Amino acid sequence: MSPSAVRRAQHPGSLDPVTLEVIRNALPAISDEMSVDLQRTSYNMMIYEVRDYCTALLDTDGKLISQNIGGVSHFVADLGVIVRDAVERYGRDGFATGDVLLHNHQAVAGQHLNNVVVYTPMFHAGELLAFAMVRAHWVDVGGLSTGFGAGWRAYDPWSEGLQLDQLKLYEAGVLDEKLLRVIRDNIRFPDNAMGDMRSQLAACRLGERRFRELIDRYGRDIVLEAIQAFYSETEARCRAAVAEIPDGVYRAESYIDWRDGGYDIKVEVTVAGSDMTIDLSGCSPQREGGANSRTYAGAYIAYKAITTPLEPLNEGAFSALEVIIPEGNMMMARYPAYMSSWSMPLPTVVDTILLALADAIPHRVPAAHSGSLGAALSFSGHDPGRDRNFVVMSIESGGWGGRRDADGQDASMSVCQGDVRNAPIENMELKGPVLVEERALRPDSGGAGRFRGGLGVQTRLRSLVHGRLNVASGAGGRVSCPPWGLAGGKPGEIAATLVRAPGDDDFHAPAEPKPAWPADTRVLYMTAGGGGWGNPRDRDPERVLRDVSEGYVSAESARDDYGVVLSPDGKTLDIDATAALRERLRKTEARQ
Amino acid sequence: MPASTTVFQVGVDIGGTFTDLVAFDPDSGKVLEAKSLTTPDDLSQGVWNCFARSAVAPGAAEHIVHGSTIAINIAIEQKGAATALVVTRGTRDVYKIGRQNRPEAYNFSFARPVPLVPRSRTFEVDERLSATGERLIELSPEDAIAVARAVRDSGAEAVAVCLLHSWADPVHEVELGKRLRAALSGTYLSLSHEIVREYREYERTSTTVMNAYIGPKTSAYVGRIQERLEADDFNGRLLIMQSNGGVMAPETARKLPVAMMESGPVGGVIAAADLGTRLGFADVITFDMGGTTAKTSLVRDGDISIAQGYHIGGYASGHPVMFPVVDIVEVGAGGGSIAWIDDVGALKVGPRSAGSDPGPICYGRGGTRPTVTDANVVLGRIGAESFLGGEMPLDAGAARRGMEAAVGEPLDMSPVEAAHGIVRIAAARMSLAVRGVSVQRGYDPRDFALVGMGGAGPLHAVEIARDLGIPSVIVPNLPAHFSALGMLMADVRHDYVRTHYCPLPEADYAQIGSIYAELLATGRDTLADAGIGETARDYRRSMDLRYVGQEFWLQVPVTEEDIRMADGDSIHRRFTQLHEHRFGHAAQDEPIELVNLRLTAIGARPGIELPKTEGASRHGAANTRLVFLEDPLNPADCPVYQRPALAPGARIEGPCVVEEYASTTVLFGGDVASIAATGEIVIEVGEPT
Repeated sequence: MSPSAVRRAQHPGSLDPVTLEVIRNALPAISDEMSVDLQRTSYNMMIYEVRDYCTALLDTDGKLISQNIGGVSHFVADLGVIVRDAVERYGRDGFATGDVLLHNHQAVAGQHLNNVVVYTPMFHAGELLAFAMVRAHWVDVGGLSTGFGAGWRAYDPWSEGLQLDQLKLYEAGVLDEKLLRVIRDNIRFPDNAMGDMRSQLAACRLGERRFRELIDRYGRDIVLEAIQAFYSETEARCRAAVAEIPDGVYRAESYIDWRDGGYDIKVEVTVAGSDMTIDLSGCSPQREGGANSRTYAGAYIAYKAITTPLEPLNEGAFSALEVIIPEGNMMMARYPAYMSSWSMPLPTVVDTILLALADAIPHRVPAAHSGSLGAALSFSGHDPGRDRNFVVMSIESGGWGGRRDADGQDASMSVCQGDVRNAPIENMELKGPVLVEERALRPDSGGAGRFRGGLGVQTRLRSLVHGRLNVASGAGGRVSCPPWGLAGGKPGEIAATLVRAPGDDDFHAPAEPKPAWPADTRVLYMTAGGGGWGNPRDRDPERVLRDVSEGYVSAESARDDYGVVLSPDGKTLDIDATAALRERLRKTEARQ
Repeated sequence: MPASTTVFQVGVDIGGTFTDLVAFDPDSGKVLEAKSLTTPDDLSQGVWNCFARSAVAPGAAEHIVHGSTIAINIAIEQKGAATALVVTRGTRDVYKIGRQNRPEAYNFSFARPVPLVPRSRTFEVDERLSATGERLIELSPEDAIAVARAVRDSGAEAVAVCLLHSWADPVHEVELGKRLRAALSGTYLSLSHEIVREYREYERTSTTVMNAYIGPKTSAYVGRIQERLEADDFNGRLLIMQSNGGVMAPETARKLPVAMMESGPVGGVIAAADLGTRLGFADVITFDMGGTTAKTSLVRDGDISIAQGYHIGGYASGHPVMFPVVDIVEVGAGGGSIAWIDDVGALKVGPRSAGSDPGPICYGRGGTRPTVTDANVVLGRIGAESFLGGEMPLDAGAARRGMEAAVGEPLDMSPVEAAHGIVRIAAARMSLAVRGVSVQRGYDPRDFALVGMGGAGPLHAVEIARDLGIPSVIVPNLPAHFSALGMLMADVRHDYVRTHYCPLPEADYAQIGSIYAELLATGRDTLADAGIGETARDYRRSMDLRYVGQEFWLQVPVTEEDIRMADGDSIHRRFTQLHEHRFGHAAQDEPIELVNLRLTAIGARPGIELPKTEGASRHGAANTRLVFLEDPLNPADCPVYQRPALAPGARIEGPCVVEEYASTTVLFGGDVASIAATGEIVIEVGEPT
C-alpha cells in the first residue's frame, strides 16, 4: 500500500493530515506537562527523583489517549482497568464536574498500595469525554508502607496499608471532610502525602484544562477522530516492526530467588506476521511472598522496546499484542494476595522475553542487565542533634548487558526505571545524619565478552545515629540465575548488600533483616553487572588494555577471561603472549 | 587609514556559518553591518574580515562586545584539553556514574554522557568535610603535594578540583589549589567553589570539569583577540558575551569560560527586552527563527528569564552545567526544515534541515526536498523576485513542482494545500515551544507581545500569535541582525550562589547577611574589573525556597531590608504567592526551608538609542500579489509594502506583506499595523476567521 492509501484507509472523513499532525504533537505535550508539574511540586523523593508515577489522559472506554514517558516504565498503559472498573460501578452518568476519585485497591489496580491513583472526569458541553489521571507513590499509606513500600514485612493487604477503592474525595466539587480525616489520621507523614495528593490533583486539573483547550480549538469530533487515528497509526508502526521478526515460537526461561521459594519465569513469544503473542502462563502461580501483581507491564515494556522505543505512548502501542496471563499467575494474582513487592520480578520478566527473541533478532537484543530495580538505600529515624525526623533514600542501579556492537552501559537504571535518578551524596548528607563514604564502580562486575557487560556500583553508607536501615540485597532475586551473557558472553557479577555493625570484624551478609541498627553501622550496597555479548577472546586486545588501565577490568580477568597478556606494569600489550594464550584457550574450549 | 573621530559601539557575533558585526554610531544613530564567513582555523580572522568590510577600524571603537561559539564548539567537538580531576577519597567514579538515569526509558541502545576526563586521570585525595563544613578528615600537606605530583605526571593540560561539601567550606580546595599551582606552572586550574558554590557533587563536578576542559583554548582565544585589538590601537573596552544575558571582562572570561557556552542566542532576547520596555510592552515573548531552528524566550517586566542550569548536548545524554543561562526553548523548525512523510503516511516537518547547502529547492542549488521556505514561496508569502532585495531570485516553479512530488501526490493534496499544511505544522511546533516558555512556566501568553526576529521570524509571528491568542506582534528594525544589536545593550552581569540549607524559621539572618556581603564583595570587584563605576552597580538578592520535603525550589526575590529586619514572614508570604501563581496551589501553613542564597551583580552600561526614523515618502503599496493565508483554496490579493518606505505613524491593514532586505512580514486579514516613531512595526493581531 502506498503511504497515501494507508493514510486514506486510516483517516477517512474530514480529518486532514495537517490537523492530525498538530493534535499528534499536542497530546503527548499534555501528559508531559502534567508530569513536569507533578515533579516540581511533589513532596517525596519517590516522585521527584525515583519518578515513581505516571500522568495520563484516558478516554471513557479506558483507552490510553496519552501518557508521559520518562517516569517508571512499569506503569506503562496500566490505568485502563481502573477507568473501566469505575465506569462499571458508577455508570457513565455517575460522574460530575468537580469529582475527584482515589484508588489503590489491589483487586483492580494490582500493585502495592503506595501507588495511589488520583483522577478526575473531564466534561465538554455536558458530555463525559475523558479522565485525567495521576498515579504516584505516596511515602506512606499506613500499615507497613513507609518509604519504598511494605516489602518483605507485609503479610496481607491490610498489613500493607489503607485500601482506597474508587472513593470520591470530592463529589461535584464538594470535599468529603470525613474521608479526608480518615486518610490523614491513618497515615504517617500526612503533610507530605496530602501535599503529594494536592500536586496530583493540580496535575489532573492541568491535563483537563489542556485537553479542553484542544477541543475548543478543533472541535469535539475532530479531536476524538484524531485520537482514533493515532491508535491505528501507532498500531501500524508496531506491526511494521514485528513483521521484520522471523515468524516462529520463541521460548526462554529464567529464575528469581525469593524468600518464599522462588519464581520460575517462563515465557513463550509467538510471532506470526505482524502479530505477536507473549504468553506468561508458564510463570509461577501467586505465592505468599508478596511478589504478586496484576500487570501486563513485563510484556508491554519488552514489546515497546522492540517496536517503537522512542514514540509517544497511546492505546495503539499494544493493540497488536496479545498477552496471556491466566488468573492465579504471579502477575494476575487474585485478591487478597498481597502485592507489597509487586514490581520486583518485572526487570527479569522483560529480560527473559528479550532472551527468547535473541536468536530471532540478534542485532536488537542485549545480554541481560542487572535485572533488579536496584539497591534501595534507605536510612530513617530521629536526629537528636537537630531534633528532627529524617528519611534518606537513594536507588543505586547496576550494569547493562553488552550488545552486538557496543559494551553495556555502566551503572544505569533498570529497564523499568527510565529517568529515575540516584540521590546526590551531598543531598543525602544534608538531609540526615549519615555519611556516604564511597560511591564507585565495581571492577570486574561486568560479564566478560567481545562486548563487555556494564559495571555495577558499590555504595558505602555509614549511619551516624541509631536508625532504620534497609539491608535487603537489591538483587531482585537474580542470584542463582545471574545476569546472563549472550553469544558466548559471560554473566555479570550478582548484587549483594553487606553490613558491618560496630564491633563486627568485617562486612557480612546480614543474618536476618532486622530494621533498626545502632549508630556507626556501615552498609555496603553492591549492584550487579550486566552480561557480556560474544566470546571474550574475540575482544579487541586494545580495548582490554584500556579497561585494565582505566581499572574497569583486573589484569587477572584480562588474562583468564579475555586471554590477554599485559606487560608486568600493566601498561602495554604483550601481543605474542596474547596470541599464544588465546590459541591455547581456544583449543581447550574446542576439546570441551 | 585616517584616524577616525567617531566612537563606535561594536558588537561582533561569531556563529556557525557567519560572523556578524554591527557598529553603532551614537552621534548619527547610524548602524553599520558587516558579515563574513566564519573562519574555523583562526576565529579571530573572521572578526577582522568584518572590521575590514565595515570600514570601522578597531581603534575607532569605544566598546566591543564579543559573542563567540568557541566554548560550545570545543565541548561539542570534544577538542578540549587533556583534563585531570581531583576528588574526595571514595568519589572517584561519581563523575562517570552521574545520576544513573536513562531518560529514553524504552531505548535499549541508550548511551549516557561520555566523561570528558578518563578514570585514569581522576585522582582521589584523603580529606572529608561534613555537610555543615566540619573537617572530619583534615587534608594533610603531604597528601596535597602527592596528588599534585600525580596530576603533573599524568600529563594533564588542565585540572579540575571538586571536593565533597566544598560549597560549605572551600578550605581544602583552596589548599589543594595552592599545591597544584606550585607543582604545575602553566596548567589551567578550576576549583569547584570558584565556579559554583552549590550542593550536588555530580553536577558541580561536571560544571568544573567543563570549565577546565574548555579553559586553555578559550582563554588563549580571548587573549588573542585582546592582543590583536591592542595591535590595532584599540583603547576601548572589550567585553565578552555570557549565557546569562550579561557581558563580562575578558579577564573574567578567561577564568570562567563555562559562562560563555550558550551566549549565541541571547542577544536577541536582550534587545527584545529593551525594545519592549521602550514601546510600552514590558512583557514580551521572543520568537527568533532562522534556517534550522526557532528559539523562544520570555521577558517579564523587562527582565529576561534565567534558568539555573542546563545540559550541554541535551538533557538525555548531555553534560550538566550548573550555571545560569537565559531560559530559551528551541525547536528544530526553521526555514530550511524539510517536510517528509513517514512510513505510515503522517506528514512531518523537520528536524532535518537543508541548511544553506544545498538549501531549499527554490534556491536552485540542487535542493530536492521541500522545506518551510519553499512552502512560503509556493504560498506567495515570500516574494520570489524580491528575496534579498532582488539579489537572489527564487525558483518558485521548482518549489511548486518539488512540493507536488514529495508531499502533494502521496497525500492527495494540491501543491498549495501541501505548502499550507507544511507551514501550519511548522507553526504548530513553534507554538508548542512558545507554550513551553509561557504556560509551562505559569504565564499566559495572552498577556504578552510577541517579538518576531531572525530572517524568518516576522514571516510566521502573526500565525503563532493567532494560535495562542497573543494580541500584539512587534517586528523590530533590522530583524535579521537583531541578535548582534542586542549584544550592545547587554549589562555586565554576574550570578553568585551559596548553598545555605536550613528551615526558614530557624534562619540566622546575621549569618545570611554576612554571606550576602561576601557575595556582594566578589560581585563588586568583578564589576570594577569590567570598568563599571560605583553608581552604575546594582545587586539583586534572592533565596531558593521550598516546602520541607520538596526537591525543586522557587527562586524568591528578597531585599537587603528583609535580611536586616529578619523578616521571615514576608519572605514566606512571597514564596506562597509565587507557588500559587506558578503551580496553582499552595499551602499557607506548611513549613518551608531555605536551600540557596543567590546574588546577581549588575553593572548598567549606557543604552544605545536608535534614532527616530526619517519621515520617508508617503507610504503606499508598490504593487500587489496573490498570497495564500488562512485558506489554501482562495488566495488574497495582498498589497506588498516596502518597509523603508513606511513612515512612522503609518497604518496598514492586513492582509498584506511588508518586504525588506533580509526579511518579510506577513499580516493576515483583520490584523492592523502601525509604524512606531522608531520604525518598528507594531501589529494588533485580529481574531482568527
